Amino acid sequence: MTAAEAPMLEVRDLSVAYGEGRDAVRPIDGLSFTLRQREIVGLIGEAGSGKSTAALALMGLARPPGHIVGGQVAFEGRDLLAMNDEALRRIRGRDIGIIVQNPRGALNPMLKVGRQIGNAYRAHNKANRGDGKRRAIDMLRMVGINDPERRVDAYAHELSGGMAQRALIAMALSSMPKLLIADEPTSGLDVTIQAQFLDQMWQTVQETGSAMFLVAQELGILANYCDRVLVLQNGHIAEDAPVRQFFAAPQQPYSREILRLEQDTAEGGISSSGTVKAGAEPLVRITGLVKNFPIKGSSKVVQAVHDVDLAIAPGETLGLVGESGSGKTTVGRCLVHLTEPTEGEIRFGDQTLSGLSAAALRQMRAKLQIVFQDPYDSLNPRWTIRRILREPLDLHTDLSRGEKGSRSRELLEMVGVDPGLIDRRPQGLGAGMLQRLNIARAIATNPSFIVLDEPTSVLSPRAVVGLVDLLRRLQRDLGLSYLFISHDLTTVRYLCHRVAVMYLGQIVEKGSVDQVFNEPKHPYSKALLAAHLFPDPSQRRVDRPDRRELQGEIPSPIDLPKGCYLASRCPSAKPDCQARPQELTILPDGRSIRCWRVATGDLADQEGLQHAV
Amino acid sequence: MSAADLMGPTDEATTLPRRKKRDWLFGIGLTIVVVVVILAAIGPWIAPYDPTAVTPRIVEPPPSLSEIPGLLWGSITGTLEHPPHWMGTDASGFDIFSRVISAPRIDLSIALAANGLSLLVGVLLGLLAGYYRNVATGLLMRVSDVLQSFPVFISAMILVALAGRSTVNIIIALALLYTPIYIRLTRAEVMSQKVRGYVEAARAMGNPELTVALRHVLPNSLAPALIQASVTIGFAILLTAGLSFVGAGVRPPTPEWGLMISTGANQIILGEWWPSVFPGIAISLTVFGFAVLGNALERRYDGG
Repeated sequence: MTAAEAPMLEVRDLSVAYGEGRDAVRPIDGLSFTLRQREIVGLIGEAGSGKSTAALALMGLARPPGHIVGGQVAFEGRDLLAMNDEALRRIRGRDIGIIVQNPRGALNPMLKVGRQIGNAYRAHNKANRGDGKRRAIDMLRMVGINDPERRVDAYAHELSGGMAQRALIAMALSSMPKLLIADEPTSGLDVTIQAQFLDQMWQTVQETGSAMFLVAQELGILANYCDRVLVLQNGHIAEDAPVRQFFAAPQQPYSREILRLEQDTAEGGISSSGTVKAGAEPLVRITGLVKNFPIKGSSKVVQAVHDVDLAIAPGETLGLVGESGSGKTTVGRCLVHLTEPTEGEIRFGDQTLSGLSAAALRQMRAKLQIVFQDPYDSLNPRWTIRRILREPLDLHTDLSRGEKGSRSRELLEMVGVDPGLIDRRPQGLGAGMLQRLNIARAIATNPSFIVLDEPTSVLSPRAVVGLVDLLRRLQRDLGLSYLFISHDLTTVRYLCHRVAVMYLGQIVEKGSVDQVFNEPKHPYSKALLAAHLFPDPSQRRVDRPDRRELQGEIPSPIDLPKGCYLASRCPSAKPDCQARPQELTILPDGRSIRCWRVATGDLADQEGLQHAV
Repeated sequence: MSAADLMGPTDEATTLPRRKKRDWLFGIGLTIVVVVVILAAIGPWIAPYDPTAVTPRIVEPPPSLSEIPGLLWGSITGTLEHPPHWMGTDASGFDIFSRVISAPRIDLSIALAANGLSLLVGVLLGLLAGYYRNVATGLLMRVSDVLQSFPVFISAMILVALAGRSTVNIIIALALLYTPIYIRLTRAEVMSQKVRGYVEAARAMGNPELTVALRHVLPNSLAPALIQASVTIGFAILLTAGLSFVGAGVRPPTPEWGLMISTGANQIILGEWWPSVFPGIAISLTVFGFAVLGNALERRYDGG
């Protein structure tokens, strides 16, 4: 691409306002940037900074009561904002496609997906219904949906979230737009599907010479797929840098803040900071945990967790990773006995939880806490923060009223929330702050162990950094142990000492973070890490020669295979794997693995050969 | 690092300008309801005549528009020989105005008592039914289905006819009929609230299950039932009046709107419209007021 080439999209001083006159707020205020052919530009910013508003405004759209109040959006030299509706309609969908968040909400539930894709195509091309359907099948195949001839006749509710997202992408791409605007297209997708989809998009852009404007909340996506990064702040672009420069030397304080952990980790990270005494007696020990959920009206059961052993030492963080449906959340819930295990023993200190009476278990909860995934949902909306924090103190301490008040303030200071907010209700507070309140409540009774169930998954990048800092600091100051459940390997690397990988209710690999991240041995761990997008533009996934992916879909947890659960999808499977149940074996380097080929040394050699070739 | 540094600019959503449009219907509804409540409290005392005492003037029409200023002046200066009958008098010689403003006491107290009773019972049963879903609560729901499937008015009539015409029986009959609505509304809300994170968190904190149900789930599940209550009160007033109209309600000469319409109805063919039209207007306005208030509350609740 030459510098003289005219940009495909040139945005100048774009502003969007809510309200009129003096009361108007302007979430987008003077937005300017350019986008060239074959370029993927990523937009990042805090929650509520107006990223989605900006994405819509690029098509000349604003969600009411918002309206565009000024600026230019020149697409191939023509100002979209100066066009009449008719001309705009012709451009939208044909030349500019958009993919929004919440795929299922964006699909019409009353129409077959094939019809919807076909209609989008026919709106801009001379085609009859049959052409539309053929086009839909082609597009569905292109976005990687198996069996597209059957799926065109599916309704939105019959598709999984990932498939609905891909159907939406197929719709946006049906007329091969020159510019694609994607607003967090992969939020809510599993990492493996996310990677497949983004690879596809990247390839499309490279091959067809189109361009893409990608709103993203994850550093990994920016690093792996974007050519340039824009930082949106106060409604305008605060930083506009090529991706390598952005990650190597961020200019803005905001950019530096969100990249801080990444740079820390590059210089050693937590696994080298020795807070865990070697050979210490574990604080929490799970042996042979099994959890089945009965299915109503059937004698079958859903096997959510199958034979899990874990041990967590005092002051240690164990990461539990896996795709959705792997049973990691169920393990966490069984651990704090919010779900009664079907089989297995959970020991906490010198007590067995399942042997305790209901009252003794309630007493025990002072030492054993949990923080949930959704901060908006886990605080009683009718209670003030003061009352929320007083509840654990009421239950487990004999403090006087005044002492409880001062303890509550102390807790707020510990988690970095202004104690002046103590008489507010959770409503209207941001996700990051709510999650801090959840942590404050969890540590109120001085627990020694906390289950963290995906606590960072809905947070903005900056709130994630804040929360990781907080969790590390609390661990250092209070000697806490954590079970950190997450699908985000980047955060796991920031926080955990050891990590266990789960697949279909089983642990398939367990070892130190360095072992599992740098040299995964189990085929599933390998696939998971291969799909992970590390926030490092020098290790882009698209540049990796070996992108092994698992085939097919995750089997149903109702009728599990006899042998290895992964056998049907594993690239290294041998006929023997289908019949042979896998045991968790401890390797000489201390890690455990559930794969006979790795354990016997059969697989490692093969892999070595493949790499050499 | 201080607390303020850590928070920085919050990650809250951009605050939108508040909607300025005042809900004028809400204002009207609220005004009517407040007036009715005040009348229920002091109506019989501010009435110019004893609502159950006959006057010598029988079937006197209300003053015509041209007479009103003179009568107003007269009643302020006290030069009239007797207080004017603003809405005329009925066939028994009762002052209709006094009866109309005294009636809310009986109508509103029946409606409130019946509603309060059904709200209390309905919410508690609804909590139980939403919390524990087993054979017993399944049966409870079927029973309330059956209760709901009868026409409310006919059922109330039969219940009062069987149990006898008394205020207490009317209250019990109405309460029985309205309870299923509250059970259903509360149960649905409890079912959606009990799986929320804060409820799990309360359990994980070591709260006994009863505390979780009463302190966390219940207060967060009340809104639909409370909104329904403000609508239902209006209809309960209508139903009370209806029962009296067909002779299954309170006994004459109690000042009660339905009863007044009923006794005045015979005179309408003689052109004497006032004994029944004024209480009719009073009922309409009251029911309208409560319904509008209920709708406004519902909109506020749904709008967050």
